[in-house]
Amino acid sequence: MNLIKRYWLTALASIVALVVFVTPFIFIILMAVKDRQQAALRDMSWPINFQLVENFLAVVQARDYMLITAYINSTILTVGSVTILVIVASMVGFVLQRHPTKWTPVVEFFVMAGLMIPPAVVPTIWLLQGIGLFKTLHGMILIEVAYNMSFAVILYRQFVATIPREMDEAAIIDGAKPLDVFFRVVFPMMWPVTVTNIVVQSVGIFNDFVNPLYYLPGRGNETVQLTLYSFQSQFNTQYNLLFMDILLVTIPPLLVFLFFNRQIVAGLSAGAIKG
Amino acid sequence: MAGLNLKNLYKSFGAVEVIKGVDLDIDHGEFVVFVGPSGCGKSTLLRMIAGLENITEGELFIGETLCNNVEPRDRGIAMVFQSYALYPHMTVYDNIGFGLKLARAPKEERDRKVREAARMLQLEPLLDRKPGQLSGGQRQRVAIGRAIVRQPEVFLFDEPLSNLDAALRVSMRQELTKLHHDLDATMIYVTHDQVEAMTMADKIVVLNGGVVQQVGAPIDLYQDPANLFVAGFIGSPKMNFIEVTAKTVGKGEVLVQSDVIGEISVPLNSDRVKTGDKLTLGIRPHALSRSDDGPFSGQVELVERLGNETVVNFTLSNGSAWMAVLDGDEPLKLGSEVRFSADVGAICLFDAAERRIR
Ligand SMILES: Nc1ncnc2c1ncn2[C@@H]1O[C@H](COP(=O)(O)OP(=O)(O)O)[C@@H](O)[C@H]1O
Ligand SMILES: [Mg+2]
Repeated sequence: MNLIKRYWLTALASIVALVVFVTPFIFIILMAVKDRQQAALRDMSWPINFQLVENFLAVVQARDYMLITAYINSTILTVGSVTILVIVASMVGFVLQRHPTKWTPVVEFFVMAGLMIPPAVVPTIWLLQGIGLFKTLHGMILIEVAYNMSFAVILYRQFVATIPREMDEAAIIDGAKPLDVFFRVVFPMMWPVTVTNIVVQSVGIFNDFVNPLYYLPGRGNETVQLTLYSFQSQFNTQYNLLFMDILLVTIPPLLVFLFFNRQIVAGLSAGAIKG
Repeated sequence: MAGLNLKNLYKSFGAVEVIKGVDLDIDHGEFVVFVGPSGCGKSTLLRMIAGLENITEGELFIGETLCNNVEPRDRGIAMVFQSYALYPHMTVYDNIGFGLKLARAPKEERDRKVREAARMLQLEPLLDRKPGQLSGGQRQRVAIGRAIVRQPEVFLFDEPLSNLDAALRVSMRQELTKLHHDLDATMIYVTHDQVEAMTMADKIVVLNGGVVQQVGAPIDLYQDPANLFVAGFIGSPKMNFIEVTAKTVGKGEVLVQSDVIGEISVPLNSDRVKTGDKLTLGIRPHALSRSDDGPFSGQVELVERLGNETVVNFTLSNGSAWMAVLDGDEPLKLGSEVRFSADVGAICLFDAAERRIR
């Protein structure tokens, strides 16, 4: 009785979470291993024929191994953008917090604007076309960097404020030049927020559907999320394959979260405690 | 071999002037303590010497070099911060060796110097630890080690002991004094704790409001304060003060008078006092002794019987709180009337501008 009284809320929350988050995922897995006829029913039934391998091969081979290309593209896009984001945003956050000048408010205004004002697609495409970056992967990387920069800068800037200025000064006294101060002392101390940034940004960019759809059209340019789009028309009678694709696309971000979960939590709280 | 010369230094943050014309000579090998109340500009002055703050006006010489625009790393200084500021992601070994690494010292030399510093500070067993795994005193030693390996001409300390507990503070104080003796370097030490200043310094610089009040050996400041501020700041417990009027000025003495204490004749060889001048009389708690016909009387507020001495807090009839430190054990009742007489030679007089009259 006592147990129920104490834990009923926790139990309720767990059940709700299970229903809301896990059920769809189970549905995806079940659908992905069914055969074509059963998948067409689109219900929550147990698969009659397990076709895991067949479905997997069919999806991978579809459209001339488009999924492989897409994975390569998405990996380049994600790794490239996140690397640039981490390096640039950490430096911007550091300078904004540590060396205020009369330009700081201007930069801060742009950071806030970047966070709040939705990007205009058509002018961006014109611009990309004008400088020859439209439909290119590096153009897409720059787009992702630009769209996610504000958030990353704000995270870093906040974190730099928790690092005592005496750390920088100790390094300066020790003979560190500005780049040494940043890369050897401050950047390593920002590791917790760097992990947070890497996880949040890479999942966001890997899962990004709309921006590659606008800025990266063309054959050979697909990202994994776009395979859903192009498979949807092809597989509209083969739901088992469509769901296999969904499953394959969902796994990497999930792995990232499972792998880094501990570090994100540990990292976020580490910033709060005086080192 | 480097002394320091500060010539008319000024520092402003925007419109706020924090350091207002400091002149100071520091010889090589001296242990100099900057002392003063919180916010008086001690840290700012130290950081100007370190090169962490720009000098608004005036000249700073370290050795023979004008250092106003010299980078901190080229000034031949090392600094220990109040919060230690150890690099949390590096081991003790790397913390101590960081400066040498930046200076691209050869690996063997670096290793030798780091181990030597570690040996001096008894840090050898801790070299592989991260700062997070050290106690406060150990962190403090690492911070000092980081300063030592750079072999600076001048060590700068900004309240390095204020984060330690009382017992550790006493032992670190002795270690620092010993270190100063062993290294034969110039040390500048900032503190707001006058006990630290008295025990460690060769020379104390008393600062208040960005102005140097007095410079001198600890015992000189105690026995011969230049003004009311220094008299009140140096010495523990604080000097007692009361307003008096000069009644008659004789040869070699003045008769001062007040409603509270009546009349006292104070030996004084000065022609600065005129009859009728408003003065402040100061007397240290240790210079008071019990006497039934003494001039200072008050009501006992608090008695601290320490065995070897007794600290008495009492209030004069005008309400000002005084203290007396008496030899031996004196069982006094709270609320009772006590009378004290003073060793007249130990009385200080200050004029209306708070300067000492001597
Ligand atoms: N960077 C700064 N900007 C503005 N005012 C400052 C700055 N640093 C110190 N001050 C002011 O200068 C005065 C002296 O500070 P400080 O030298 O730290 O005093 P302390 O003697 O306690 O070490 C204080 O009033 C402080 O508010
Ligand atoms: Mg200070």
